[in-house]
Amino acid sequence: MLLELSEIFKWVTTGGNRTYLLKGINIEVQEGEFISLMGPSGSGKSTLLNVIGMLDHFDEGVYHFLDEPVQNLKEKHRIELYKKYIGFVFQSYHLMDDLTVYENIEMPLLYQKYSSSERKALVADMLDRFNIVGKKNLFPTQLSGGQQQLVGIARALISKPKLILADEPTGNLNSKQSEEIMQLFKKLNEEDGVTIIQATHSEANASYGSRTIHLLDGRMVKG
Amino acid sequence: MIKHNLLLFFRNIKKYKVTFFINLIGLSTGLASVILIYLWVNDELKINAFHENDSHIYQVMQNLPEGDDIDTIIETPGLLARSLKSDIPEIKYASNVIAPNWFENEKGIISHEDTYFKARGQFVEKDYLKIFSWEIIQGDKNTVLTDKNTVLLSEAFAKKLFPDTTDIIGKTIDWVQESSSGKYVVNGVFKDVSNNSTAQFDVLFNYESILEANASNFKKWSNSNPETFVLLQEGSNIKQVNAKIKNYRREKYQSLRGTKYLHYIGTLFLQKYSDRYLYNVYENGVQTGGRIEYIFLFSIIAIFLLVIACINFMNLSTAKATTRLKEIGVKKVIGAHRKSLIKQFLFESLIMISFSLCVAFLTVILILPEFNHITGKSISLSLSLEVVLIILGITLVTGFIAGSYPALYLSRFRPIRILKGKLDTSIGETWARKGLVIIQFSISLILIVSVFIIHQQINFVQNKNLGYNKDNVIAISSEGNLYESNASFISEIKNIPGVLKATSFGHDLVGDAGGTGGVNWEGKDPNANIQFSNLEIDFDWFELLEIEVLQGRVFSDEYGNNEDKIIFNEAAIAIMGLKEPIGKTVKVWGKDRQIIGVVKDFHFESLHERVKPCMMQYYADLSNVLVKIKSGTENKTLSKIGAVYKEFNPGLTFEYKFIDDDYQSLYTAEKRVATLSKYFASIAFIVSCLGLFGLAAFTVEKKRKEIGIRKTLGQGTQQIVMLLSGEFMKLVFTAIAIGLPIGYLIITNWLSRFEYTIDLQISYFLIAGFTVLALACIAVGFQTVNAASRNPIDALREE
Ligand SMILES: Nc1ncnc2c1ncn2[C@@H]1O[C@H](COP(=O)(O)OP(=O)(O)O)[C@@H](O)[C@H]1O
Ligand SMILES: [Mg+2]
Repeated sequence: MLLELSEIFKWVTTGGNRTYLLKGINIEVQEGEFISLMGPSGSGKSTLLNVIGMLDHFDEGVYHFLDEPVQNLKEKHRIELYKKYIGFVFQSYHLMDDLTVYENIEMPLLYQKYSSSERKALVADMLDRFNIVGKKNLFPTQLSGGQQQLVGIARALISKPKLILADEPTGNLNSKQSEEIMQLFKKLNEEDGVTIIQATHSEANASYGSRTIHLLDGRMVKG
Repeated sequence: MIKHNLLLFFRNIKKYKVTFFINLIGLSTGLASVILIYLWVNDELKINAFHENDSHIYQVMQNLPEGDDIDTIIETPGLLARSLKSDIPEIKYASNVIAPNWFENEKGIISHEDTYFKARGQFVEKDYLKIFSWEIIQGDKNTVLTDKNTVLLSEAFAKKLFPDTTDIIGKTIDWVQESSSGKYVVNGVFKDVSNNSTAQFDVLFNYESILEANASNFKKWSNSNPETFVLLQEGSNIKQVNAKIKNYRREKYQSLRGTKYLHYIGTLFLQKYSDRYLYNVYENGVQTGGRIEYIFLFSIIAIFLLVIACINFMNLSTAKATTRLKEIGVKKVIGAHRKSLIKQFLFESLIMISFSLCVAFLTVILILPEFNHITGKSISLSLSLEVVLIILGITLVTGFIAGSYPALYLSRFRPIRILKGKLDTSIGETWARKGLVIIQFSISLILIVSVFIIHQQINFVQNKNLGYNKDNVIAISSEGNLYESNASFISEIKNIPGVLKATSFGHDLVGDAGGTGGVNWEGKDPNANIQFSNLEIDFDWFELLEIEVLQGRVFSDEYGNNEDKIIFNEAAIAIMGLKEPIGKTVKVWGKDRQIIGVVKDFHFESLHERVKPCMMQYYADLSNVLVKIKSGTENKTLSKIGAVYKEFNPGLTFEYKFIDDDYQSLYTAEKRVATLSKYFASIAFIVSCLGLFGLAAFTVEKKRKEIGIRKTLGQGTQQIVMLLSGEFMKLVFTAIAIGLPIGYLIITNWLSRFEYTIDLQISYFLIAGFTVLALACIAVGFQTVNAASRNPIDALREE
């Protein structure tokens, strides 16, 4: 099992009032699954993804990632864990504007122990795989949205994560670009065995997954 | 419109409190410092300049050959004033003046019946009151001081001596002071001399009385005693007058005495009287500055402080721009012209500076007493029109300069781009900001290095082994009856248990040594003009001051006559090149003197001077009494000495000074500079750090997204802190690289005023550099650590 969430609660307190963002989430994810998180805007998809990705803390419940109890981990250890096993893909890509495509993709490797020749090889491989070799010296602002998201995915994949967390990865793209990205995810999932959890509004995108989890007001509901 | 702009301004303050306070602190301390420095400079410039005829009052100066050097002095021959007045048509009035400090004891004793006071007497000619505009409140300005035996009293002394009556004219007073002692008749009262005059006196005497009393000295053209002041005719050409008087004294001397010793006679020139206070230092006959240097120094520091505060304002305003883009964009889209935006931003900076001015004024009012204490002034914040206008002027100019760059910068953006959130930051602009930070820190560093080393030097000066022990030694001047009978005074106080030793001394150890070239010895080069300092001392003098005797012995009544003996210091023996000096004979002013001792060099002048060759001769009953007091018994012993003093001088207050205080006061000017520059350097540095702190905040803010991304990609907090701080630290390093060498140059220049200095050690510079670096690190680190440890999700949350 890759990860398991049980009875996860998350809330924020404003002016003495607790607002629940996540209410009793229970999810088990096996390696190799492709899961879609669906729900209307504000239902807690992003919050859940951030909790899974260890970017955000939760207030109650138990979360095991590869049998490690996440709530008990020190920050350093947690960073190690997600650096090694998790890649993020964002709706608005979050690429570094002053770095080139090549440098953006290379970035995660700089924080891990790779020699420069290893890094070169890995980046070249990625550029090749996503057909963006010709664009490697361009800056993000010189690319279309779809191309930027490709770079975002390439950056997420470069450190060979077990799990990709994608928060509305196609939210800023047109339908043709969306489909390409989804195809890419499917291929990654099927051929490379990467586990994917994506948040999405769209039924069409959700259908690429093997399982769909519905969220409403921070609670899991039946689809 | 103004209301709208004000509204935006205050909302901005609310939103950016930290920036507001950084600016407020920076600008208000900057302004407060400038106001203080301005008040001080203004006060300095007014010294002696308040006389009605100020622009025409000159002092006659004399360039005297001394050895290979020229010594510039204020003393002149005693008949110079009247002689110049009758010979030189441009000179309308002239007066010789004997100032109180011409006497061995600056104060004489004035008494009426049984009331005694110490007072400063000044001897002037009748033109004196036409040259200087001292206000005469009783008596007729034109007839006072016509008789040799008349005096004018200051208002304060008139009241003290004659408390019961205002009818003072015609009363008689007694005066005791060396050659001027006698009975005098009061024929006028003048208003007390104000603080901004360097001439300070309580009684004015007729110069004729002292001229007659010292006729053989004063009436010779070979001797110089009184000062000479002249009032030039309207429209006189100072160059021509200078040319006429240059050789005046030499010609007079030559016509009477021929060319013998003519080479000892000096040349004359005029210096404007009110300039003398600021331009008081001459080196080898050339004016080389003086107090004016401190005026320059502090004016520059004032400008620096304002520049640093302005830089903060500019940097923070432009950095803040990123957060105000929307406002600017929207305004432009709805049709605001660039001009109106420029106006808005200038307006904002003017409001800011006005706020700061208010705070600055409060600050000045609060610290003015302390400032006066440090500078030894009595400045009050009297808001004359001139002062108000100048302060307002400085404030407006500062506000305008600080505001113009942000205004031009902010109003430049094209609206569509900035509404999309894109700020075209040119390379030039980032460089401008970096450059400004570098300037700030270079200035701060220069100030810090200087302050640090000045402090070391002052410490060194205060604690240096001077070759004599100044602890617990007091000096009492032989005034009143002591002047005649100080031998019995000394022998009486020696019976007091707390008095370890007592002796008399003709000089002091803070620069008042006599000097002479009249020493001859076997083997002296006949053309050499070697100057010897001359100290006249009594028995027990060396023992009291614990000066080390290297060879021979000191003066003593056990070996017969002391008057034909002499003692030298090491420096004198070295320059004379005498081997085995003890027992050898030298000629002093033509008389034989046998060398009985050689003492180790000790500092009888300030550390600004190298220890000169010095001879010590024995005299009895000299004018200053030195007493060494047993430590721990100071109060008791002093009151006992005071009681003895009262027996000799009934009615007079017992005054004494510790010679250590005397020594310390040699460095008053330096200590003042040290204290003031310490404060100003701290202000400069703190304000710079605040600026850096604010700038770091904005940079971090701008990089929020980047930091977030880096963190989600697994970069640790530490690495991010290093990355963010690195950029700022580079600037600080550059500033250090620029500031240290400049600081070094400035400080070596300052140290060159001293003949004895600390060794400049690399560590001083390293410490200063490190301090700057460390505090800058803290300022930046505070922001970056904060930013780097934030949850990246907050930065990356999708809209
Ligand atoms: N730090 C927070 N403080 C307060 N409310 C939050 C915070 N984070 C998220 N929310 C709220 O929680 C709800 C869920 O947000 P989110 O997970 O972003 O929804 P989704 O991604 O499904 O649109 C929203 O109503 C959002 O406003
Ligand atoms: Mg979302």
